[in-house]
Amino acid sequence: MNTLTLALRGLTRNHRRSIVTLLAIAFGFAAISLFAGYTHNIYSGLARQSIHGELLGHLTLSKRGMSTAGKLDPQRYLLTLDEVARIEAALQHESQITLIAPRLAFSGLVTNGRASTIFIAEGISPQAMDRLQENMLTEQEARSGMYDRLAKKLDPARESGVALSAGLVELLHLHVGGEAILLVNTLSGQANAMDVTVDGSFNTGNAGTNDKFAFVPLALAQSLLDAEGRADRLTLLLEDVTQTEAIRDRLLAKLSAAGFDLEIATWQELSSFYRQVHGMFNMIFGFIFSIVLAVVLMSVANSVGMTVIERTREIGTLRAIGLKRSGVIRLFATETLLLTLLGCGVGFLLTVGVRYGINGSHIAYTPPNGANAVPLLVDMDYPRILLTMVLMLAVGMLAAFLPSFRSARQQIIDALGHV
Amino acid sequence: MSLSHPRVSVPTQRPAATLLQLREVGRRFMLGETPIDALHAIRFDIHAGEFLAVWGPSGSGKSTLMNLIGLIDAPTTGEIYFDGHCTGDLSDDELTAFRGKNIGFIFQGFNLMPVLSALENVMLPLHIRGVGGSEARTRAAAALQDVGLAKFVHSRPDKLSGGQRQRVAIARALVVEPRLVIADEPTANLDSHNSLMIIDMMREMNRARGVTFVFTTHDPRLLAHVDRKVLLQDGCIERDESTS
Repeated sequence: MNTLTLALRGLTRNHRRSIVTLLAIAFGFAAISLFAGYTHNIYSGLARQSIHGELLGHLTLSKRGMSTAGKLDPQRYLLTLDEVARIEAALQHESQITLIAPRLAFSGLVTNGRASTIFIAEGISPQAMDRLQENMLTEQEARSGMYDRLAKKLDPARESGVALSAGLVELLHLHVGGEAILLVNTLSGQANAMDVTVDGSFNTGNAGTNDKFAFVPLALAQSLLDAEGRADRLTLLLEDVTQTEAIRDRLLAKLSAAGFDLEIATWQELSSFYRQVHGMFNMIFGFIFSIVLAVVLMSVANSVGMTVIERTREIGTLRAIGLKRSGVIRLFATETLLLTLLGCGVGFLLTVGVRYGINGSHIAYTPPNGANAVPLLVDMDYPRILLTMVLMLAVGMLAAFLPSFRSARQQIIDALGHV
Repeated sequence: MSLSHPRVSVPTQRPAATLLQLREVGRRFMLGETPIDALHAIRFDIHAGEFLAVWGPSGSGKSTLMNLIGLIDAPTTGEIYFDGHCTGDLSDDELTAFRGKNIGFIFQGFNLMPVLSALENVMLPLHIRGVGGSEARTRAAAALQDVGLAKFVHSRPDKLSGGQRQRVAIARALVVEPRLVIADEPTANLDSHNSLMIIDMMREMNRARGVTFVFTTHDPRLLAHVDRKVLLQDGCIERDESTS
């Protein structure tokens, strides 16, 4: 028999109270773990949506000032054909880079011959577009079928084929295979129009852009803007997303040394939506976490407090027969540790079970500002599950310390005389 | 402070036969604002191997005296020497370790852990002293056999009679081979048959092992079994008689 056995037996003394406390810990643990899993799914979904769905890639290279002054004076800030070639040559031995895609953004009017509306377009090569969209969906998301219309496709064989957002197609009563006219200003300010074929439509996933967005082949964009071989930025795909920051710093230094005055933005810096959602969910998570920890703290403190009172004579007896004050504290600490660990264990099983139920029930919802419903999925966020367990153990120990310390300090004769 | 360093202001080494010495020991309790003197300048010795009963009416200070002798309470005045060493300056941890090694306790209400079996209850003091599992188990089983409870090692206290529980308590007190066993009203919750059996058992352990027993009782019939009886009255020793 050791302290662990003694503590385990102690928990069975008032098993009803132990179970209630254990369940409070378990439900709290499961609530936190499930919410952590849900936010993890949201974060990873948003990350994939930003990197692959919005075609941001991992890193975006552009001339310094392109994102600010370049909007008013694109001629000055666009990369030239020669600059693009030199940058690509400088980066060709970077094993972490799997794709370098020149891009050209522009806007203008699109018309069906009877009505016109504004559009925002991205010029990109069809092959690069396909590569950027790889890994956009998890297997589970792909199976759900809810993201089918998010995929954007340009036909490499059709120079004048464009992909329009679903809202734009609907607004202008266009259809796939139909004709439209794009009207833009060239870099020198001349009006330029071109007949295009609607090769496909897609859902941007965002109500704000779903009636404006278009993808066109890079060559078509360059032709429309009369900007032969030019690009406003280069989109890079990396082998490992976790290396994004480190590679950005390395590339910036390398390209500066090669004489380029460039800025490189990460996908997180470019996706303000991701940052806002991440910040908001972190705040909610912290709030829920604090409430659950407070409940656990009070529950454990109440349980240990009651236990200590009930077992005052027992503590007096143990002290009389040679258990030191530190031993009393150790005994209750071990009991609390066991209770919290068991609670976390049960909570983990609850998490696994509820997650299985949620993921299997195909619940869908439309997120704020979303253009389509998305499945409610919960991941297993192991780092935060571990953090929750560690913090719950710490909170449990904290809650147990005061009553057990008070009990250990009690005079033996008072404890033995307790009724 | 270590027991090997007794206080220098008082005689430190007493004759070997004297196990415990109380010198002008007094104990005052505060009942709200009112001081209650439970013991007044008690002075007496307990010799190694004695079987001693402290008796007297309720409120005479028997339990207070037992608490002081058992070193689970500290006197307000005076000094207590155990084996010639002053116990007054020991830290709580030192005193606790000293108790665990030298003193066994038998309580009126048995004070067994309800969630532990008889064997585990007896193993408890050994566990506290750091004795390993298998050795503790062997020694506890032997102690239970000595008190005639070999068949009840796995029984929990609520499955045992009052007499059996007190025998488990005796086994628990003796398993660490203490030099002194304190028993405060060990028979108060037992019928006369079990009371006599418990006293006989304690007496037998005292004779067989030389363990010093000090117990309190209300029951005058039990006094016939002791070597020495100390009558306590209003916190003072009224009479101290040797019967052997």
